[in-house]
Amino acid sequence: MRKLVLTALALGGMVAANISSAFAEWAPPGPIKLTIAFRAGGGADTQARLIAEHLEAEKGWKIIPENVTGKGGINALKALKDQPNDGTAIAIVVTESLGYNLVAAKNSGLSVSDFTPLTTTAGFQMGVVAKTEKGWKTFSDVIEAAKGGQAIRFGVMSPKLDDLAYMLGKAHGVEFNTVMLRGGKGVMNGLNAGDIDVGWGAGIQNAAVQSGDMVNLASGLSTKLSISPDAPTMEELGVKFNADGYFVFVAPAGLPNEARTALSEALSSVAADEATKAGGMIKKAFGGAQIIKGDELDAIVSAAADASAELMNAAE
Amino acid sequence: MEVSTYLWLGIEAVFAGPTAFSILGVSVSIALTMVFAGFLLGIVVGSTPGLAGPMAMAISLPILISIFGYSPDALLPVFGFLIGIMKGATVGGAVPAILFNTPGTPDAFMTTLDGHPMARKGEAARALRVAHVSSASGDTFSDVALIVCAPFLAILVEAYLDLPEKTALLILSMAFIAAVVGGSPAKGLISAALGLLAASVGTGEDFTPRLTFGFDSLASGFPIVTAVLGVLILGEVFKAIEEMWHERGRDAATTNEQIQRPGRLDRETLRRIFPYVVRSSLIGTAIGALPGIGSTLAATLGYTSGKLLHARRKADDEPAFGDGIPEGIAATEAANSSVSGANLIPVLSLGVPGNAAAVFLILAADSIGGFNPGPSVFRFTTDSINPELVIAFGLFTMMMVANLVNWTIGGVFMRSMGAMTRIPKHRLLPVILLLTLTAIYIQETKMAALWFAVGFGLLGYVMRRLAISPLPFIIAFILGGRLEETARQAFSATGGDPWFLFSSATSIALLVMTVAVVAVLSARGRALV
Repeated sequence: MRKLVLTALALGGMVAANISSAFAEWAPPGPIKLTIAFRAGGGADTQARLIAEHLEAEKGWKIIPENVTGKGGINALKALKDQPNDGTAIAIVVTESLGYNLVAAKNSGLSVSDFTPLTTTAGFQMGVVAKTEKGWKTFSDVIEAAKGGQAIRFGVMSPKLDDLAYMLGKAHGVEFNTVMLRGGKGVMNGLNAGDIDVGWGAGIQNAAVQSGDMVNLASGLSTKLSISPDAPTMEELGVKFNADGYFVFVAPAGLPNEARTALSEALSSVAADEATKAGGMIKKAFGGAQIIKGDELDAIVSAAADASAELMNAAE
Repeated sequence: MEVSTYLWLGIEAVFAGPTAFSILGVSVSIALTMVFAGFLLGIVVGSTPGLAGPMAMAISLPILISIFGYSPDALLPVFGFLIGIMKGATVGGAVPAILFNTPGTPDAFMTTLDGHPMARKGEAARALRVAHVSSASGDTFSDVALIVCAPFLAILVEAYLDLPEKTALLILSMAFIAAVVGGSPAKGLISAALGLLAASVGTGEDFTPRLTFGFDSLASGFPIVTAVLGVLILGEVFKAIEEMWHERGRDAATTNEQIQRPGRLDRETLRRIFPYVVRSSLIGTAIGALPGIGSTLAATLGYTSGKLLHARRKADDEPAFGDGIPEGIAATEAANSSVSGANLIPVLSLGVPGNAAAVFLILAADSIGGFNPGPSVFRFTTDSINPELVIAFGLFTMMMVANLVNWTIGGVFMRSMGAMTRIPKHRLLPVILLLTLTAIYIQETKMAALWFAVGFGLLGYVMRRLAISPLPFIIAFILGGRLEETARQAFSATGGDPWFLFSSATSIALLVMTVAVVAVLSARGRALV
C-alpha cells in the first residue's frame, strides 16, 4: 500500500514536472540562424539585426544573422527551406516574397506551404513620390502631363510594383516607362538625380515629404498614407490591386506550435516595444510597428498569393 | 546644410566617435586608433618584399567586419584601418629598395636606382629620410586634390548625365582600364570580359537565376570576396609558390651594407629636392585620377621627368640620376605616393575603382552597407543630414590624420623596418594562404565559398602565367552588376529604345572615346603599365 502511494506520488510528480516544463519558456535547441533577405546596412537589415541583438541580451539565445539577398527574397526562402524546423532557423522577408514573388518564380521549386509565417513587424507606407519642384500636387497632374505627351519615368523596386505602376497607367489610358531600381534607396537617388520623374517609396520618403522636399502623389495601399491623408488610394485611382505589405519573419514548414508561438511572441514584443533600440528604429523608419501573427497572418499570406496571380493576369 | 557643416560633422564623426581608450582624460576614438594601427601595419607590410598593401587590406577586411559588424558605425573604423594600410605601405615600400636593392612594393623599383647607391655610400639613413619626406608630401598633396575634386566631379555627373550617358560612362571606364592595365589592350579586354562573365552568374532581374547549372550555391552569384581575394591574393600566392619551386637551392645573395650614419636632412637637401617633389606630385596626382593607371607608371614618369630636369640643371662634374642622389629618390617617391589619394577620385565620384587598394575600399563599403560610393554620396541636402556625405568627409578627415601620423612618427618607424626584408618567403606564403582562406570563411561561412576562392585563385594563377593582368577582371566583376542595371534602366527609361546609347551627343562622344582608347593603345602595341 505504501509502495503504491509512493508510486502514485512519483507518477504525479512526473506529470506535474511535465506540465510545468510545458509552461516553462520554450528555448531553441541551439543557435538560431537568421537569414536576412535584404542588403546589409539598409533599414530592413538594421531592423532584423537590432531585434536579434535584443533577443540575445534578453533571452540568452544565440542568433547568427546572415544576408542572403536577391530575387525578391526567393534566394533567402530557398536557403531557409531545408533548414531544421525546430526553431533554429528563421528568415525575414516581405509578404511580397511569399506572395507575388513565389508565384512569379515558377522554377524555384518553392511554394508558400513550405513555410510557417511567424509575425509581421512593420508595414509599408507605400506612396507614389515625386520631387516637389516638379510642381505636381496629386496623381492626376502626372496623368495630365503624360497625356500632354511627356514621357513619364516611373521608378519601381520589384516586379509587383512594376505591374502596379503599369495598372495605374492603364486605368488612365497612359503608359509609363517603368524603371527597375535597387530598393527604396535607389528610387530616392533616382528622383534626386532627375533620372526618374516619379517612383514608389515604402516609407523611406517620409522625412523628405515632411520637410516639403518631396510629395506623396498617391497611396499605393488600400488605406490612406498616415503622413499624406489627401493622397488618393489605389482603389480611388481605379486600380483594384494594392501594395499592402509587411516585413515578416518566417520559419520552415512543420515548426511545432510551441516553438511558433514562442518565436512569434519574442520577435513581435521586441518590434512593438518602442523603448527597445529595434522598436525605436521601426517607429522612426517605418512609422511604428504593425504586428500580425497566428491565424490572421496565415490568412493574409494566402490571400496575397491569390491576389498576386490575379494581378499578374491583369497586367499581362 | 552648408559644406562647412558637413565638413565639421565628418571631423566630429572621426574624433568624437565611439571611444577606444583614453590617455590622461583625453578619449581617443576607435576610428583614430584604427588609422594609427593600420598605418603601422602598412609600413611593416610595405617593407616586407612579397607582401603588398592590397594583400594586407584583403586579409584584414573580413576580420575587421567580424569585429565591427555590419552597422554603419563600422564604416569609419574599417575605412580608417584600410586607409592606414594603404598609406603605410606606400612609405614602407622604399625601405628594402634603399637598404637591400629589392623593392618592397612594385612601384618602389625606381627608388632602388638612387636609393641603393646612396645606402652603399653609407648614406642609408639620409636616403630613407628623403624618401619619407617626399612620399609624405606627395601623399598629402594628392589627398588635397581628392577632397577638392571629387565632390565637384560627382555633382557634375549627377547634374548632367542621364541614364544612357551613365551607361556609356561605365563602358568607357571599363574599356579604359582594360586597355591601359596589363600586357596589351587585347589581354586587358579578355580579362575584363571574363570578369563580366563571372559577374553574370546568378544575377539579373529574372526570378530564375541564370548560369547556375542548377547549383543552389550559385543562385546569388559568386560572393564578391571570393572573386577578389581568389584572383588577386590566392593567384599571387600560387604564382609565388611556383617561383620558389624554380628557385630552390639557389642562394639569394643578401647584401647587407647599410651603415647607419646619422643623416639629418639639412635645409640645403630640402631645397634641392623641393622642385622634384612638386613636379612628381603633380604627375602622380594627374595619373592617379585616371582609373586603372597605377603608381608604377607614375613612378616611372616622375623619375624620368626628374632625370631630364636634373640633367639640364646640373654642372658637368656633379653626380647624375642613378649615381645615388637624393633628387632621384624624391622624384620617384613623391610620384608613386601621390597616386593613392587621387585614385579615390573616380571611386568616390563615379563608383569606379581605379586600383587594387580602391577595390578593397569598395568591397568594404559593399559588405558593411550604408555607404555606396558613387555620385549620390555628394548630395548636399538642405533639410536633413545625408549620412553618406558625413562618412565621405569622415574619410577625408582620416586621410589627413593618417598624413599627420606619417609626418610625425612615420619616418622613425620606417627606419626601424630593415629586419622585415629577412623574412623568408617559404615562411611568409603559407601564412598568407591560411589567413586568406580564413578571412574568406569568416565572411561567407560556407565551404562552397572556399572552393570558389580556390577556383578563382587558379584562374588568377593562369592569368599571371599568360601575362594577363587580373585587375581588369576584378574591376569588371565589381562593375558588371552596375553596368547591367544601368543599361536596363536606360533601356526602360527611354521607353524601350534599343539605340539608347546613341540617343544623345554626350553618350555618343563617350562611346567614341571608348573605341579610340582601345584603338590607339592597340596601335601602340603595348599598354602603358
